[in-house]
Amino acid sequence: MAGILEGKGVTKYFGGLAAVHNVDFYVHEGEIFGLIGPNGAGKTTLFRIIAGIYAPTSGQIFFRGKEITGRKPYEICRMGITTTHQVVRPFLDMTVLENVLVGAAFGRGWVTGATRDVRKEAMRVLEFTGLAPKANVLAKNLTLPDRKRLEIARALATRPVVLLLDEVIAGLNPTETLQTMQLIREIRNQGITIVMVEHVMQAVMGVSDRIMVLNYGEKIAEGSPQEVATNPQVIAAYLGTSLAV
Amino acid sequence: MTLNLAILFVSAVLVAGVYATMSYGLALIFGVMKVINLSHAGAIMLGAYVAYVLIVGLKMNPFIAAVVVVPPLFFLLGILLERVFVRPVRKAPPIASLLLLFGVWLMMQNIAYIIWTGEVRTITTPYTMMRFNLGAVPINVNRLAVFLVGVFTLLALHQFMTRTYLGKAIRATAQDSAAAKLAGINTDQIDMVAFGLGTALAGMAGALTALIYAFDPNFGGSYMLKSFCIVVLGGVESFLGVALGSLILALAETLSVLWIRAGLQDFVSFVILVLALLVMPGGLPELFQRRFAVRQR
Amino acid sequence: MKGTVRTGRILLLLGVLIFLALIPVVGRGTYYQHLGFLTFLFITLSIAWNLVGGYAGQISFGHVVFFGIGAYTTSILWLRGIPQLLTIPLAGVAAALYGLLWGWPCLRLRGPYFSIATIGVGEATRLLALNLENLTGGAGGLTLPTPEDIRLYLFGFYYMGFFLMLGSLLISAAIRNSRFGLGLFAIRMDEDAAEALGVNALSYKILALMLSAFLVGVGGSLYAQYILYIDPGTVFGFSMSVNMILMPIIGGIGTLWGPVLGAVIFTVIQDRIMTLSLNLWGFTFKLVQFHLLVYGALLVLIILFEPRGLVGLAERAYRSVQRWRQAKAMVPTTG
Repeated sequence: MAGILEGKGVTKYFGGLAAVHNVDFYVHEGEIFGLIGPNGAGKTTLFRIIAGIYAPTSGQIFFRGKEITGRKPYEICRMGITTTHQVVRPFLDMTVLENVLVGAAFGRGWVTGATRDVRKEAMRVLEFTGLAPKANVLAKNLTLPDRKRLEIARALATRPVVLLLDEVIAGLNPTETLQTMQLIREIRNQGITIVMVEHVMQAVMGVSDRIMVLNYGEKIAEGSPQEVATNPQVIAAYLGTSLAV
Repeated sequence: MTLNLAILFVSAVLVAGVYATMSYGLALIFGVMKVINLSHAGAIMLGAYVAYVLIVGLKMNPFIAAVVVVPPLFFLLGILLERVFVRPVRKAPPIASLLLLFGVWLMMQNIAYIIWTGEVRTITTPYTMMRFNLGAVPINVNRLAVFLVGVFTLLALHQFMTRTYLGKAIRATAQDSAAAKLAGINTDQIDMVAFGLGTALAGMAGALTALIYAFDPNFGGSYMLKSFCIVVLGGVESFLGVALGSLILALAETLSVLWIRAGLQDFVSFVILVLALLVMPGGLPELFQRRFAVRQR
Repeated sequence: MKGTVRTGRILLLLGVLIFLALIPVVGRGTYYQHLGFLTFLFITLSIAWNLVGGYAGQISFGHVVFFGIGAYTTSILWLRGIPQLLTIPLAGVAAALYGLLWGWPCLRLRGPYFSIATIGVGEATRLLALNLENLTGGAGGLTLPTPEDIRLYLFGFYYMGFFLMLGSLLISAAIRNSRFGLGLFAIRMDEDAAEALGVNALSYKILALMLSAFLVGVGGSLYAQYILYIDPGTVFGFSMSVNMILMPIIGGIGTLWGPVLGAVIFTVIQDRIMTLSLNLWGFTFKLVQFHLLVYGALLVLIILFEPRGLVGLAERAYRSVQRWRQAKAMVPTTG
């Protein structure tokens, strides 16, 4: 398997505090790569660096071997890396369909010409994510689980190569959790590489091929879910939180 | 040349005192509520007119009028504005409160126009023409008094903010409103007090400025822009920042006369405003902090 | 059913347009011709402001600069011998370039910070125009040559104003249904989310500003040629910026027809109501003294109670009428 997304010595300081410190990572094409760690471990910061929202203090990010450090968020999306937001941010006054249209009309699909008919592409994504019956509902009238689903649908409409999912499961009930886990697997089966930050251990352990653990901005472990779960450093970091699946 | 420079420098410092008073009002409201108060200009203008009524109409001592009578009146006005207009849109996007307070400013302008007409007014006090010489530099007593009042007000406020419970609560709310609420601070009340204080400062600054410059119902707009400029330069958190920002702006304006015509003096402050917004969104304090943080590492 | 409503609307629109086109033919140089020209101008300005303030959600308090640049470009070029009609597109281009000049840095600022910067830009530009006497004539302004047949001349400009308004409306409508419009709406609702989905927010905002500036610049150019005298206090005055904010907000910010409605109402208020005077308790009040109070109060009320302005109000009324009809239709079956 070829490497698709890679970070070398990624570091980000806010003021004098290191949010992410000297993190290396390597994501294989087509895998589901989980990113976990206690609160404030730097997971979301790392996502934002990859997505181009923050410029790293030092270090580099590579996508398909090409450096993308410091690119703007929209450029990174058009190259094929799309990020969802931890706090869902739908365009509230647009319908579900219009929300997804934005992704289809501006993302990689449109730029590369893969998406010819924007509306058709948006409908395809809505069918795939199960939101089609709500296509004409205003986003502000959606429930939280639907908003989370819309967040994923909108990102999918950009036709990403790599999809960064930031806590799309937290806050869902068990049935919805299972639904979303299945959706994530289906997305991967379409050939899209997934990097996910997740607090719900059961979910992230269940779907990830490999997992990286951050603590205080540093990488403390990486490996299969089993390797990570038995790593003493990880257990120490999560002391008090149950890792038992 | 050096004498000229000294005169300009002194006049810049004197102007900075008033600038600091009005900017601090704006900074306080923004810091606590994250609301950009476009009615600030209206409060400055109304402050000038209220002072006019008190001093010219009721023959009150100008400084008693500006320092003792105007601020409490405008504190009440500020509380009223906050309760009636600002509170209902606190949860709306920031643009809503901006436009709403802009509407309030338009109304204030019109009210002043109806009561006092559009005629340009001045307040002449016994101190207006008085001056003494400090070395070779002539100093206008009136301007010096206005400067001193401004400075003392800020020092008194600083004591209030650092020593009293209410002051500490205001600072806490400015730093993190959610956390302040969790700590048992009634943030709604703090918002109200902050808006009242900010408006009181604007009114006082307007009254003080009216002792130096002529005014009409449009008065206040350019001072509000200058206040923005100072707040952007100096940040919203510290007195020192506001004082420094005021001084920088006053110096830049005053010294600009050496190179460009007087009519373009305000041009300098507007350009500084736009540049400052672009270059340093966190203001001078953040710039210092950044330097400091780098050294720490 | 839906089709007939649509044809009805189009017929109504056509009727209004034909009526407007006939006004000067029926009575040349009349009062209504002037009123018509001013209304077209204000509708154009209102629509143009709405492209940036409504569609893209970037509230500009400095839009008058484009009006002034347009007016001055035309006047200066015309006085230097450039053919009068050629100066019109040049005025638009100059305004658009000025938009690029300050929009490129300032549109990096978000929300209220952009708004404050625009106040600064507006005032700085006015002061500059006031002080560059060699170019602008300073506070004294510029007087343009009076054409020989002033009636025929103004007759022509009535139609230019008419077509400028029509063009602005078509552009505004086209943007609403385009990819460009979708991007602008996304930016208004959440700029970060839009960027994350591939929208180049800065470029889009700059493009919207330049397009808006072009229309306002052409408007300024027509204004200068119609009035034949301009000065910085008028064509760079803050109150013109205020008008440009008030009209679309009164009508319905971000909508297609709101800015048109707002501008019409605004012009009618200016023209009809503001010239009235009232006699109360022995005092005579001229209503023009209250115009800022009226507009300020309108602005406050709209933001407090109906952020979508008159269009929002109309939609609400329409819905409640429908609900009332439905309720009435239900009564016999239950009773």
